[in-house]
Amino acid sequence: MHKFIEKVFSLFIRLMAFMSIFLIIFIIFFILKESLVFFRQVSFLSFITGKIWRPVSVNPSYSIFPIILSTIFVSLIAIIIALPIGIGCALFISNYLDEGLRHFVKPYINILSGIPSVVYGFIGFLVIVKNFEVKLAFSSGESILAGGILLSIMILPFIISTCDESMFNIKNKYLTTSQALGVSKWYMITKLILPTARRSIIASIILCLARAMGETMAVMMVIGNSPIMPKLLSKGQTIPSLIALEMGGAQVGSLHYHGLFAAGLVLMLLLLCINIILYFLQRKLNF
Amino acid sequence: MRRYAQGYFIKLWCVLSGIIVLSLISYIIIYIIINGISVLNLSFIFDSPKGMPLGSEGGIYPAIIGSLYLTLIACFFASILAISTAIYLLFYCNSIKISNLIHLVIGCIAGIPSIIIGMFGYTLLVYQLRLGRSLIAGGITLGIMIFPVIEVKVERIISEIDSYIISSSYALGVSKTYTFFRLVLPACKRDIIASIALAGSYAMGATAPIILTSAVMFAPTPKSLTSPVMALPYHLYLLISESISIQNAYATTFVLISILLTINIIASLVAKTGR
Repeated sequence: MHKFIEKVFSLFIRLMAFMSIFLIIFIIFFILKESLVFFRQVSFLSFITGKIWRPVSVNPSYSIFPIILSTIFVSLIAIIIALPIGIGCALFISNYLDEGLRHFVKPYINILSGIPSVVYGFIGFLVIVKNFEVKLAFSSGESILAGGILLSIMILPFIISTCDESMFNIKNKYLTTSQALGVSKWYMITKLILPTARRSIIASIILCLARAMGETMAVMMVIGNSPIMPKLLSKGQTIPSLIALEMGGAQVGSLHYHGLFAAGLVLMLLLLCINIILYFLQRKLNF
Repeated sequence: MRRYAQGYFIKLWCVLSGIIVLSLISYIIIYIIINGISVLNLSFIFDSPKGMPLGSEGGIYPAIIGSLYLTLIACFFASILAISTAIYLLFYCNSIKISNLIHLVIGCIAGIPSIIIGMFGYTLLVYQLRLGRSLIAGGITLGIMIFPVIEVKVERIISEIDSYIISSSYALGVSKTYTFFRLVLPACKRDIIASIALAGSYAMGATAPIILTSAVMFAPTPKSLTSPVMALPYHLYLLISESISIQNAYATTFVLISILLTINIIASLVAKTGR
């Protein structure tokens, strides 16, 4: 009897594990398959370098260069804004707060990562976009900059928690030694903690870039969604928002539909490239 | 003198960014609470959307129930697959190559943006399997999204158990099944439940995967697995993007955030009492 249960359980676990891995591999191949149909008719190069996305007109044109550019642009703005604040805040939590306060502040910051992206979009729409229009008198508040600012708030908790963890460990490791040597706190931060924590800083950049580029709802609600060449204060459109807005309307099997899958594939390739670049950067920094 | 200036600069930078982050969080929380609570009342929670355009009056009861159902299906689907995969990796998988491959594949799916998983669910489940925009299609899509989250956490929880217990159990000739159910599971049951609940709260807030697969503008509380549903995040998105009612959007946000916070608090309590 025991033998039987043992066999059944083992079989069940193996089956389920196999199924889940099969499912994941299937998803990846599915996306590849659906987009390869598109690349048989439109060349990959013209798809990513052309400037006009006009899928439903009489002579349609499928090129997403401006959309790729705004995806990268928005994420970079978000990183540029969030990184100094995030690292500063991580240093603040790990070095300037005592143990009791730290246990209170860390969960508080983690609330940010629990807020759904659509709520961020809502607040961004009512606060950032409105203030751009009313207080700063921009013609349109919906802009790349608004998306970047909103994304920077969304990725802050990830930068902070990744950096804080390693900075806290480094501090605990060297605090007694550096105090015994009479080294001041800021010297320890600049010469010891920041250089040693650069691995986790780069890791947090990878994580946040991936999150920022794949973010759909929040960006879609503040960026204006028009596929034009992005400028800091102009509207733009990112790949996820393109898919979310047009997928429901595209006829399944049409070139437009396959083009959206191809855009998804380009987004995944972009993330892969960033991962590879930063992986080599990290290895180089490790001399 | 220059050194002192540098020291002050570093301190200023740290403290200032700390203050910016903390006040930002407080601002967001207070903003949601103050604006939400002034609009919220009981009939808003227990009423269906009414008015013209739809949603400008009435409540969000079907959306709350729809969101809860979607989350339950996603958690059920994802946790069976994720826990089995974790057990397989830790107890049954003998080859390092296979386990590396599985970790790589799970890393891949974790890196895929949720909208692309939604696109996959739309084509395969909604269109090719003819499920239509339905509870089950949305639930499975959300389940695929939270699968890696649960798998990674469960694997870590189980591997944190003292390996001494497991190896001595094997040494006594106790079977793997018995070891798992009598030794491993009781020790980490609560942590696993907490991690599933946290992943569930992540699924409940996600909008991108359900835009294409299950959420609709209006539907009654779902009767079967194949009926379309309303969901809180999608309802919120519609209220704003179609500029139907900002007031109701505030209240919806408040309800959504309170449900998520409740799940989070219960999950952390469950995990704590187990220790």
